[in-house]
Amino acid sequence: MSPLPAAALVLLAAPLAALAFGFFVTHRVRPRTTHLPILASCAAVAAASLALLGGALGGASWSGRLFTWISAAGVQVHFGLLLDPLSVSVLSMVAVVGFLIHIYAVGYMRHDAAFSRFFLYFHLFFFAMVGLLTSDNYLQLYLFWEGVGLASFLLIGFWQHKPTARAAAWKAFLTNRVGDVGFLLAILLLFRWTGTVAFADLFSNPSLLSSQKAFIVGFLLFWGACAKSAQFPLYVWLPDAMEGPTPVSALMHAATMVTAGVFLLARSYPLLERAPGLLPFIALVGAFTAVWGAVGAFFRKDIKRILAYSTVSHLGLMTLGRGGGGVFPAVFHLIVHGFFKAALFLCAGNVIHGLHDSLGGAPTATVDDAGGLRASMPMTFAAFTLGAVSLAGVPPFGGFWSKEFVLAGAFGTPALAALGLLTALGSSLYIGRMLFLTFLGRRSWQKGHAAHAHEAPPVMWVPVLLLSLGGALAGFLAAPLARLLGVEPHHASHTVTALSIASMAAGFGLAWAAADLAPGGEPAWRSRHPALLEAVESDFGWQPFCDRAAGAVAGAARFLGDIVEGSIWDPGTEDAAAAFPALSEVLGRRARGILNDYALLMTAGAAGLAILVSLCF
Amino acid sequence: MNAELVAWAAASALFSIGTAFLLLRRQLVAMVVGIELMVNAANILIVFHAVRRADPQGLAVALLALAAAAAEVVVGFALILSMRNDENEAPESSHLRELSG
Repeated sequence: MSPLPAAALVLLAAPLAALAFGFFVTHRVRPRTTHLPILASCAAVAAASLALLGGALGGASWSGRLFTWISAAGVQVHFGLLLDPLSVSVLSMVAVVGFLIHIYAVGYMRHDAAFSRFFLYFHLFFFAMVGLLTSDNYLQLYLFWEGVGLASFLLIGFWQHKPTARAAAWKAFLTNRVGDVGFLLAILLLFRWTGTVAFADLFSNPSLLSSQKAFIVGFLLFWGACAKSAQFPLYVWLPDAMEGPTPVSALMHAATMVTAGVFLLARSYPLLERAPGLLPFIALVGAFTAVWGAVGAFFRKDIKRILAYSTVSHLGLMTLGRGGGGVFPAVFHLIVHGFFKAALFLCAGNVIHGLHDSLGGAPTATVDDAGGLRASMPMTFAAFTLGAVSLAGVPPFGGFWSKEFVLAGAFGTPALAALGLLTALGSSLYIGRMLFLTFLGRRSWQKGHAAHAHEAPPVMWVPVLLLSLGGALAGFLAAPLARLLGVEPHHASHTVTALSIASMAAGFGLAWAAADLAPGGEPAWRSRHPALLEAVESDFGWQPFCDRAAGAVAGAARFLGDIVEGSIWDPGTEDAAAAFPALSEVLGRRARGILNDYALLMTAGAAGLAILVSLCF
Repeated sequence: MNAELVAWAAASALFSIGTAFLLLRRQLVAMVVGIELMVNAANILIVFHAVRRADPQGLAVALLALAAAAAEVVVGFALILSMRNDENEAPESSHLRELSG
């Protein structure tokens, strides 16, 4: 560990300076130029993290204290930066992807009245994520974790005039709070049991926590990660979170929000490893979430919702990778996924943008609105295809390699292997269906929406194409990343590779059959099973159940507010308060206003005090 | 031992007389005199113990208290004199009745 280089300070200083300048100067003087300082800060962060990545590949890692944050009896928390191979590799992906999405957002939000406010929130999101990745202790990580949560709340509900956006923002915020309770409890238990929350102390000294205590802390950390990284059962907020502007969805799904939980688990791996039985449990939850998300994605029609469920599914794969094969598969899939998922979301944004005139200003589109866009949006089509093959795991594109590592880790357990292969099939199934329905086919029954589609401006398709190329070529990152993390990647056997390619191909075939590109409305299989569609639409009852649970909590709060406070507490305190004026009314009539009376009272008071003091001491 | 008894007795007597003046007399000048007696009772004890401990700081405090008392008397008497009415009666606390309930 070497002391912090200047580039490390840029990571936090540049976004802070850009946010301050943007908020105090450009937001007030020239709101349409707020993106300029913010893009400069993104470029600085991206350059700094790539410089650090170069150093890290040369074997360096850095850590250092900036200041003492909390110093009280027995509790010392320092604010510091930890730039080890794990944080630097994830940080580089986040910085590069985040930078490209920022550029895209300039084009996408150009006509929005609240352009300046959007960029301030957007960059706050980015800043919080950079801070989260570079934290050197759990409490500091928690600070930025909540910062990410706050920024996501502001951005999901960015179009405040829409009730659905407001509801989605609250849903995301409240669901994340449920998870944050777990994280907070983990931090408090660490304080109580070990007296420290610094990663360096906790991980270098295994004797601090017994394996039972490590299990409890690890489980609570996983509970927190479940909400942030949209694992079953706390994933419910993510599909709704696409109510925000599309660049927000891209940033959230690829770089900043959902990767936070995966990163937290990767960071805590030395702790999770020591907890008996925890990693298999995490792997199982991840595998289940992966299949669950894939099923959800296959039946949806809203293009952003399909991608949202696909994120749930792939986050499940990352969690499966963590539980099954260690840090490397999870982090590698996180990085590859960051590239292609950002590209896919921004393509969806381009489609919405291209169809804008015919959608009547709706913030999202369904696969029925689109169709045959291949000819009118060639660049977006190219980018989407690259992203889709990457996601589906077509060799030799990025997702193929990362999925191989995840499956290789999972193949020790038959159940995990089956669920992993099912996810591989499901991935190509839903993304193939989306690709075919949106960009291929001549579907004359689409009310002519697609006929008026137009390609997005270059500021929007260039970043998308770069991102999808990044995702497609991400296979090259496997070897450097493995060297960086100091692991020997566990290559999949030929059987695994063959099975995964077979599932992928089967998925595409099924997708072609299910998409039913012939003109004539709904594919026959959809109209034949309305009950099934209804069940999937509500996630087999899980979404309504969560709504009811939230409603019950709100009902309890209303009971406390209306009955306990309104009928019992408030009248009681009001009566008590009214007694004081009445008492002074009575006493006041006794007062003659003569100085001697006051002198007598004062003397009596002083004498009483003196007696009291002499009795006590 | 004896000297201490005398000092405490004198101080207590002065303090009690001062308190009685303050509480019982209605004439404002007499009330101020009562306050001065109480201050001086405290001062006697301070000087006595400063001398016994040979502590010059205690004497300094006593001097400071004297100076403060003198200044307080000047302000107090000036206020009381300004209350005199045309008949030249001595001002009494019963003349000040604004705080009456």
